[in-house]
Amino acid sequence: MGLQNEEKLELGCSSSQPRSKKWVLLTVRVIAFLATATATLVMALNKETKTLVVAMVGSTPIKVTLTAKFQHTPAFVFFVIANAMASFHNLMMIMVELFGQKLDYKGLRLAMIAILDMTTVALISGGASAATFMAEVGKNGNSHARWNKICDKFETFCDRGGVAIIASSAGLLLMLIITAMSIFKLLNKPKSVSS
Amino acid sequence: MAKINKIFSNILRLLAVAATVVAIVFMVTSHDSAQVLNLTFTAKYSYTPAFKFFVVGEAIAGGYTVISILLSFKTLFWRIIVFLDMVATVLLASSISAALAIAQVGKKGSAHAGWLPVCGQVPHFCDRVTVALLAGFAAAVIYFVILLCSLYAVL
Repeated sequence: MGLQNEEKLELGCSSSQPRSKKWVLLTVRVIAFLATATATLVMALNKETKTLVVAMVGSTPIKVTLTAKFQHTPAFVFFVIANAMASFHNLMMIMVELFGQKLDYKGLRLAMIAILDMTTVALISGGASAATFMAEVGKNGNSHARWNKICDKFETFCDRGGVAIIASSAGLLLMLIITAMSIFKLLNKPKSVSS
Repeated sequence: MAKINKIFSNILRLLAVAATVVAIVFMVTSHDSAQVLNLTFTAKYSYTPAFKFFVVGEAIAGGYTVISILLSFKTLFWRIIVFLDMVATVLLASSISAALAIAQVGKKGSAHAGWLPVCGQVPHFCDRVTVALLAGFAAAVIYFVILLCSLYAVL
């Protein structure tokens, strides 16, 4: 998908090609950073407290206060950590792109950026899919394992979790495009005449 | 150097195919049933969408790896292989991640959600799923190394 767009861009542009591509990559990175940061924040602040009536003793109801926090589920903890690391990575890459043009290590700058992008994509995909399937169990329950659904009682928790997962999936898509662009940049790097 | 890289990459791809096949076989043949107080409690991989996604993801990655081994003898495809390898790595990472999330709840339960752990009743199912998950994790790690090799080959 990203490959087709890149090839069209390559054929159409002429001398101003590296600068416009640099700004396109930077813009996509900023949007991906915003998406993953949103996912991290929304999931990290996801908490809902609900008071439920469990039983009636005579005429006084016995109330139980239940809390749904993201820390209760390891999948959501991994989701928050993965998205936090991805936003940090995007932020670092934006800083390096804007302020660190001279930073290089034996000519391996583009290769390192590409490899780090690939690791981040794998990380985000792991976090997003784990959270998606945990949310699916929370929403539909699992009748075979006798696990009841919890989304009918904790609607706000589930809604916010859904928003975070959608934001992370958008971030994942953008990171895939960014990685494709980074690899493309690496493949088309002008081979320098050096030792 | 390119030849050594190609041979090494193909060996890794064979290992990855083996890992995905082991993962699929152990996940698909894992079913167990137990009688608990006159109720029959069955556990199959198809009862959980996460395990179904795991099997499908591993199957797609394994099939792609076989095709890429066959195509590696033509040198035209090296650039496309980098992108497809990345897609396969992402697919494997997300399959194993989803299956691990659900398996963790199945083993330890979730006290806050009122979900009881399942592994006490169906230990055979849990053991087979554990082996399948280990193989899936090995496949994901091997695939990441394959991706690095492919990137090195086109540098």
